[in-house]
Amino acid sequence: MPKRKDEPGFSRRSFLKTVGASGVAAGVLSKAPAVDAQAVNAVGPGAVPVTLNVNGQSLRLSIEPRVTLLDALRMHANPPMTGNKRGCDRGACGACTMLVDNRPVYACSTLAIEVQGKRIRNVDGLASGERLHPVQQAFCEKDALMCGFCTPGFIMASVGLLEKHPNPTPDQIKKGLDGNICRCGTFNRIFEAVSSVKGGQRG
Amino acid sequence: MANAPQPPQGQAPPQGAGGRGAAPQGQAPQGGRGNQPAPPPVDPKYNWTSTSRTVVGTRVQRLDGPDKVSGRAKYTFDVARPGMLYGRVVRSPYPHARVVAVDLSAAQRVPGYKTALVHRDPKDEKTNVVMYQGDEVVAVVADTEEHAIDAARAVKVDYEMLPAVISVDAALAGTAPAVFTPANVRPGNAQEAGDLAAGFKAAAHTIDETYATHVITHVCMESHGTVCEWDGDKLTAWVTTQGVNSARDNFASGLGIPQSNVRVICQYMGGGFGSKLQLGVEGLICARLAKQAGAPVKLMLDRKEEHLVTGNRPSAAARVKAGVSADGIITAFDAESWGTGGAGAAAGFPLPYIYQIANRRRAHKDVFINTGQQRPMRAPGHPQGSFITEIMMDELADKVKMDPVEFRIKNLPTQAPNAMWATYLREGAEAFGWSKRHPTGDPTPGPVKTGMGVAICTWGGGGRGPSVAHCEIASDGGVTMRLGTQDIGTGQRTLVAMVTADALGLQPSQVTPEIGDTQFGVSGGSGGSTTAASTSPGIRIAALKALEALKEKVAPELGVAADALVAQGGRIQVKDTPSKGLSWADACKRIGTQAITAEADWQPGMTSATTSGVQFAEATVDVQTGIVKVTRVLAIQDCGLVLNQLTAESQCYGGVIGSLNFALFEDRILDRNTGQMVNPNMEWYLLAGMSDIPHIDVRLKNMPERGVVGIGEPPTVPTAAAIALAVRNATGATVRSLPLTPMKILQSLQQKA
Repeated sequence: MPKRKDEPGFSRRSFLKTVGASGVAAGVLSKAPAVDAQAVNAVGPGAVPVTLNVNGQSLRLSIEPRVTLLDALRMHANPPMTGNKRGCDRGACGACTMLVDNRPVYACSTLAIEVQGKRIRNVDGLASGERLHPVQQAFCEKDALMCGFCTPGFIMASVGLLEKHPNPTPDQIKKGLDGNICRCGTFNRIFEAVSSVKGGQRG
Repeated sequence: MANAPQPPQGQAPPQGAGGRGAAPQGQAPQGGRGNQPAPPPVDPKYNWTSTSRTVVGTRVQRLDGPDKVSGRAKYTFDVARPGMLYGRVVRSPYPHARVVAVDLSAAQRVPGYKTALVHRDPKDEKTNVVMYQGDEVVAVVADTEEHAIDAARAVKVDYEMLPAVISVDAALAGTAPAVFTPANVRPGNAQEAGDLAAGFKAAAHTIDETYATHVITHVCMESHGTVCEWDGDKLTAWVTTQGVNSARDNFASGLGIPQSNVRVICQYMGGGFGSKLQLGVEGLICARLAKQAGAPVKLMLDRKEEHLVTGNRPSAAARVKAGVSADGIITAFDAESWGTGGAGAAAGFPLPYIYQIANRRRAHKDVFINTGQQRPMRAPGHPQGSFITEIMMDELADKVKMDPVEFRIKNLPTQAPNAMWATYLREGAEAFGWSKRHPTGDPTPGPVKTGMGVAICTWGGGGRGPSVAHCEIASDGGVTMRLGTQDIGTGQRTLVAMVTADALGLQPSQVTPEIGDTQFGVSGGSGGSTTAASTSPGIRIAALKALEALKEKVAPELGVAADALVAQGGRIQVKDTPSKGLSWADACKRIGTQAITAEADWQPGMTSATTSGVQFAEATVDVQTGIVKVTRVLAIQDCGLVLNQLTAESQCYGGVIGSLNFALFEDRILDRNTGQMVNPNMEWYLLAGMSDIPHIDVRLKNMPERGVVGIGEPPTVPTAAAIALAVRNATGATVRSLPLTPMKILQSLQQKA
């Protein structure tokens, strides 16, 4: 039998690490383009200061440039913000969805260092104390959640959708939430919940 | 050899109508009582009908909804402990190989590296062989997750590649390398009934077709994972588990420590679907790493690991020869079936599914291939048996030119527990507009064809002990209900509060449910749709016993005997004289410093087993692209006494969508040469999104007289078959294997033409 040696492989993370400051940040990188490491203005690989504006508060972190927005808030912020989840870690399931300058993004595939100076909102900051956001209320009322792990991402995607389209059509709701996956199968009720929030209010 | 084939799990695959709670293949044991005598039947005063049900059966929002929608709910993935380190497992990239050497030196130089554990010692001939891609080899610990990933990547492992069984067909044909002992294929005993030859002789028409379903994985949104923290020789573990008590027992036996030294906590869990019934090896590795590192360690698997090692739904296939008489009775059924549950694991499923066929034979073979082992997945075996049987049903119905609904009714078992299928088939046909269904092949011009299909299901469910609930009523009116069950997303926490509140005349929000922790006592795992039925009797009896004690305290003051009092609308009052009584808060003030406590176990008589369900599906097929869109599903389902109408309906929605995924999208695809999974992610392992979801009507049948049964699994059984039949009805071409990919549909159309 042939013997084979396992080589430490190339990974998405190590790729991101290489090009951390080059502007290639979000999205799924299925193929590695040829990047001239000399041409980029290298930052890291050790920890660097990163300042984020999260839920209206300034958050100063010391993190490696490869750290994603999701991981920065979940594992490096103090206290940690663990509301948004990691389901697939490559921008396919949407459990990590946050709003960056009002636009839903996959926080698992967005480098924290790339969103400095932008307005970041995650599920941890959505309710005002005990008072839930209308979308959160609607999810509870319609039973639009089961295990609840995908829920924070769906809620942020719904908030982003409703801010853009306060009275969305059924097709806008479907399209707006197509980037999120729920494995328990709560889609029909999520649709009902989002439909019940009209003009940003509970109808 | 490592991972040699395990002894058969249970006996031959369950056959026929699923049986009463017939623990399907691979189903985890549900905390049986062993040789202990069964408890006596429930005292009628505790029965569901003994009080007016004010909460049970209503629509109650999840009590933990606000915590989940706000991100406050802490899952295992969210647990952070002081000084916590991160673990990571190095896994075999090959389906079959010997670990020849492990070199940790580069890993040890990675910043933040703490310690490592060699799971497969190259020198240990008994354990140094990996049997599937993803098999555990080494585990490392570092200060951050990023560093743990770096360290894992820096571990160098030399493998000697060994021949692997990758193809089920090659294994069956005997052309695959001999890997498993005693053989790659394990034949079971044939099951026979009636007179097959006579049955075929009586047939006016026969078919001989092969049907197949594929391997899918659980894809829980929260991966499998553990946080382990030692205090001396005592272990506290936060685990993504469907059974805190079984996880505790798995830790104790795996680590060789007393059960009393282990505490397992699971407050919130991101989906299990059967894959989290037992503690995986990664749980034990995490505990060992934490011990070795002298610090708490968190080890969460990533998405790729989830697909490879945390279980899957086994494949199923059958070559079926069947005969039908001119008047539409199935006279003969002869099936050779097989399936793979991976490396050394069984792949059983019921066949024929539900329908009564007097003359039948079925012989099954388990095929072992070098992939991760199967685990129970939502209604183990049933979706597979359903697909194979139901496609055959429509093919036979067409032979005798009978309507599929009538053909099904004609061939239903004459005697079966809770056999409601005929009733539901007629009701559903009416509600769904079945009379508008055209014969096979939509005659409408244009590329988009529409069709309808129907399929039926059964499931055992039911309750069993031990499941001991502890009720406490304090002098401030607070009510706590404690038991070692867990909420895996079903709404169990809310059920605990509902059943308690219902017994005490309170609202669910007035009850504090305490679950998800082995400190709260013994209860079964959440599997087999048994949780509600196993836990609710103990909860109700414990609450009513505590209420009896409370009535004793207040009866003298009200000048009546305790049994003249009832708890209603937040008051303890005299039966028939509601004005004479005390508010709940005032009544509880009489309790004093010593809270009232009561406990009770599951009792027979408040639960039963076996559900019936029927589903209708409508789908469109674009015959130019092969793309299927499911437009409507009607699910009629019973589950005995409905506890929470809202969350029980949600289970049905979820079941239908899970089965739609099985029918159209999901597929674990292996590279035929390397045996490696080519889509271990969530973009090429396809799952439905919002735009793929049909309109779903749920008709839940409440049967209070049957007691609690369970609802988690049955609704996920028949949808896939109903969709496949809707596609067949639309196109006039039969696809006999899942998933219904555009390519297969186009091929079927080509064969038809």
